[in-house]
Amino acid sequence: MTSYVPVDTLEKTEEALARVKAAQRIFSGYSQEKVDGIFLAGARAANRARIPLARLAAEETGMGVMEDKVIKNHFASERVFNHYRRTVTCGLAEEDKAQGWRKYYEPLGVVAAIIPTTNPTSTAIFKALLALKTRNGLMISPHPRAARSTIEAARVVLEAAVAAGAPEGIVGWIDKPALEISSLVLRECDVILATGGANMVKAAYSSGKPALGVGAGNVPALFDPTADVLLAVNSVILSKTFDNGMICASEQSVLIHEALYDRARAEFQRRGSWILSPGEKEALRAAMFVNGSLNARVVGQKAHRIAALAGFAVPESTPILIAEVESPEPEEEFAKEKLSPVLAMYRASDMDEAFRKAERMIEHGGYGHTAAIYADPLKAGDRLDEFIARAGTCRVVVNTPSAHGGIGDLFNFKLRPSLTLGCGSRGNNSVSENVGVEHLLNTKVVAERRDNMLWFRVPEKIYLKRGCLQTALEELKDVLGKKRAFVATDAFLYRSGMIRRITDKLDEMGLEREVFFDVEPDPTLSCAKRGAERMTLFQPDCVIAVGGGSAMDAAKIMWLIYESPESSFSDLAERFSDIRKRINRFPVLGRKAYFVAVPTTSGTGSEVTPFAVITDDESGLKHPLADYELLPRMAIIDPDLHMSAPKGLTANSGVDAVTHALEAYVSVMATEYTDALCLQALSLLFEYLPRAYERGAEDPEARERVANAATLAGMAFANAFLGVCHSMAHKLGAYHHLPHGLANALMIEEVVRFNASETTARQTAFSQYPRPRGLERYAEIADRLRLGGDSLKEKLERLLEAIALLKERVGIKETIADYVPNEADFLARLDSMSLDAFDDQCTGSNPRYPLIEEIKGMFLNAYYGKSRRKEI
Amino acid sequence: MRLENVIAQRSRKKVCREGDLAVKIFERGYSKSDILNEALNQARVEETDLDIPKIRGVSAVEGEWAIAMDFIEGPTLASLVEDENDPRLEEFTDLHIRLHSRKVPLLNVLKHKITRQLTECRALDPKLRYELLHRLESLPRHHKLCHGDFIPSNVIVNGKDKRLYIIDWAHATQGNASADAARTYLWFRLRGHDAVGERYLDLYCHKTKTAKSYVQGWMSIVAAAQLSKEVPEERDFLLRWVDVFDYE
Repeated sequence: MTSYVPVDTLEKTEEALARVKAAQRIFSGYSQEKVDGIFLAGARAANRARIPLARLAAEETGMGVMEDKVIKNHFASERVFNHYRRTVTCGLAEEDKAQGWRKYYEPLGVVAAIIPTTNPTSTAIFKALLALKTRNGLMISPHPRAARSTIEAARVVLEAAVAAGAPEGIVGWIDKPALEISSLVLRECDVILATGGANMVKAAYSSGKPALGVGAGNVPALFDPTADVLLAVNSVILSKTFDNGMICASEQSVLIHEALYDRARAEFQRRGSWILSPGEKEALRAAMFVNGSLNARVVGQKAHRIAALAGFAVPESTPILIAEVESPEPEEEFAKEKLSPVLAMYRASDMDEAFRKAERMIEHGGYGHTAAIYADPLKAGDRLDEFIARAGTCRVVVNTPSAHGGIGDLFNFKLRPSLTLGCGSRGNNSVSENVGVEHLLNTKVVAERRDNMLWFRVPEKIYLKRGCLQTALEELKDVLGKKRAFVATDAFLYRSGMIRRITDKLDEMGLEREVFFDVEPDPTLSCAKRGAERMTLFQPDCVIAVGGGSAMDAAKIMWLIYESPESSFSDLAERFSDIRKRINRFPVLGRKAYFVAVPTTSGTGSEVTPFAVITDDESGLKHPLADYELLPRMAIIDPDLHMSAPKGLTANSGVDAVTHALEAYVSVMATEYTDALCLQALSLLFEYLPRAYERGAEDPEARERVANAATLAGMAFANAFLGVCHSMAHKLGAYHHLPHGLANALMIEEVVRFNASETTARQTAFSQYPRPRGLERYAEIADRLRLGGDSLKEKLERLLEAIALLKERVGIKETIADYVPNEADFLARLDSMSLDAFDDQCTGSNPRYPLIEEIKGMFLNAYYGKSRRKEI
Repeated sequence: MRLENVIAQRSRKKVCREGDLAVKIFERGYSKSDILNEALNQARVEETDLDIPKIRGVSAVEGEWAIAMDFIEGPTLASLVEDENDPRLEEFTDLHIRLHSRKVPLLNVLKHKITRQLTECRALDPKLRYELLHRLESLPRHHKLCHGDFIPSNVIVNGKDKRLYIIDWAHATQGNASADAARTYLWFRLRGHDAVGERYLDLYCHKTKTAKSYVQGWMSIVAAAQLSKEVPEERDFLLRWVDVFDYE
């Protein structure tokens, strides 16, 4: 600083900017501790210089009140320092180790500060301290009317900061402001912190650099009938006289409910305020305003000097001049911001009128800034809420002098101290709060890869072993205390008498019971609604679903309607990407009835899954519902109920279970929990399914093993979900009326090959799925099935052979064409079927993310078989 | 030059009539570029559909430059300043608005011209100049034809076709029409025709659906530009218009 060269040309400004930039580069590496020491030193020095700086500002600008400027300097140093003394602004600010997340604060670079004439020293102190606390450089563009005092304030902070270890030249300034020089600073800095007139703020925003700007205020203060008149009037006088009314948050108008008007007027007069006569009012208007603009000579002057300018005399002690006016429109000059101790006063016949007028003033002069209201919050609650809602400002101060109230920490201690008050989008600002350190920081977050949280959910009770049905039913009464059972099943099971094994037991135990046996295959919504109506009449406390997938799914839907009649199926069937983050939440089920599933076939797994498919017979749409609310609370796997299943059903549901286990094992959501279930299910199915198929009830061991395997696979895919095989099988079955298990069987080998591809780029995005793993996962299955093979590829081929052999042994033909002979029809609807399959809920967890063309290719391969197979 | 039939005399130029032509003759030493600029401006505006005298020639004889153009026979609107209820004031305003609706993209830019005037104006305090330049920067940029001196005496009612002809395109630019209207309003006020000026401004704002405050936003700027012409008797009046405060 010894050989200081004034910055007064473009070249010298370039040099000054380069100095600040260089200093800031050094400063950006400072520790929090060092920065806090510098922040403290700057604040302390500014605080100590508050009186000389205030005097300099008052003398140089010829505006405002020296003693009030002392308060502002004190505020800018002490309150701002105190507020941020412990705030973290350097480096690591927050860390969540468990979630692998960290937040760092970094400086923005060089901040260009536009400083207004009305608060030159306090604003310079404020911005310099914010910059120091955030490791930014600062380049100050003062207003020529206040350049000396602005620069002096900056110098005081700079010298103290440098003495405390800040880099030399971390704060710079323009000594001789000119448009082209300040434009250069705005263009060359990293961010602009603009306080001042609308023109300065606009210049900041048009510079092309990020700008934090604020603008003009035009604060209305409303007096509600519940207001404390003495408090209100004296607060307004306090605020309006502060620094001769130059604060942008000062009251410009008071809008007083007529019930208080005379008392308020008298109190203003009692405190020496001068209420203008009509003649004085017009004289003042002519003196104060030029073409609708404010005469610069009245800004920040005392009331008696302003009166003298208008040609009349008032006592020197007069705090404010009051003009009683009516219009809030811009044509009424007194309705605007006056930057002087001149106040407009309105009589409002009701608060709505006051609100309307206040809204207009805010719109035309102080959009986004501040509004004030005096009211008793206990008595005027609704009106207060209404005003808060209607005020087009970013701050509403209540029972508070607004000049002091808006800047925070003086009349409310939660509103943070700031001399730059954001005006939000209404004021064309990028900030709506009181500007603080976080606006001068870049936030850098570090996010480490973490696994997506998963869970494992199954029914709370699963009964197994032959004959367990009786025991389980007893428990319904003895342990769970159920009294009214609703049995849902299909007509075949009802007529075959199998259902009597249940109803007889219920009768024996003395439970009230009702049987609904109208469930059809592919159950419809109207069927479920009929069942639910019966439930509603009967009011069961437990629901027992008996049968295959259809009966169990239909009973789940009946249960859903019974528990939550207002549910919308299309909403609940909406696809989700994460079942825990779905848009439409499921209602809580089980409040009325306990759900028991009793499968009579081995395959669907519905007794342990959170899934149910229902067809809306009006729209023809299939709603696949999935939510753990739909999970049965109890599953009873009694092999005795499976003995008489026909051959075709045994084959179809058996291969369905095979595909469940194959898909769940390679799913991106597979876990150790589901892996174990899949491998065990597959090893049981490959061994016992052919036996169960061939020998039926004559081989109860095979029946039991297959029944257990199907439920194991069910528990696996209830948690790991499925894949594109099921997506395609759902649509193939629906388009061409094939049984679900068969449709899966026809697609599965294509899908295994598809997922085993090592060269695919389209891996499904799932955090804990690190690389394409299809091939190695299938090889693991082959190993578990003891299929042999040396390489992964060989193992894959062995697995494919084993699947083909299994299908053959249970009587399933090779190609779709074997079941859908109409080739033209198949091809005609292939595109639409492929698109639908792509959009199936099962697609999301497939390890390879399929393109629609690839789905189509798999369909074609599966249609024509080996002879015309193409690699996908 | 030997033209003797002087029909108008200004400080450094005169206009003479020669048959169907009006010839504007400039004093020796008058800026050549200003003269050529005026002729070029007028030639450019000729290309619009506005009724203006067409340029017929530019010449220099012994250092005395002259622009020859069509002579438009008829009285000007100068006398409308006498009565704010003169119906011709509305025609005058309509014509001004019509002029603003035209685009002449090669004309000088008003904002550049004013920036130059403010920068060179010696009567301005540097602090005021700083504020004025910032204010000018923040005002909206438009590209409408601006006359620059649209006053009643520059509008002639043609005796033949009764149409209104606009003359004197020396100050024509392209820019914000409200600045041009503010300039006209200032002219009325400077000459004490306050009532006519107010009526003109009201008519202009009403017809163009412009907020008065929007036009008023230009008043300090056009006053400062006028100040640069250094007319001593205008100085106090203009300084009062110029010394206004930007809201903070």
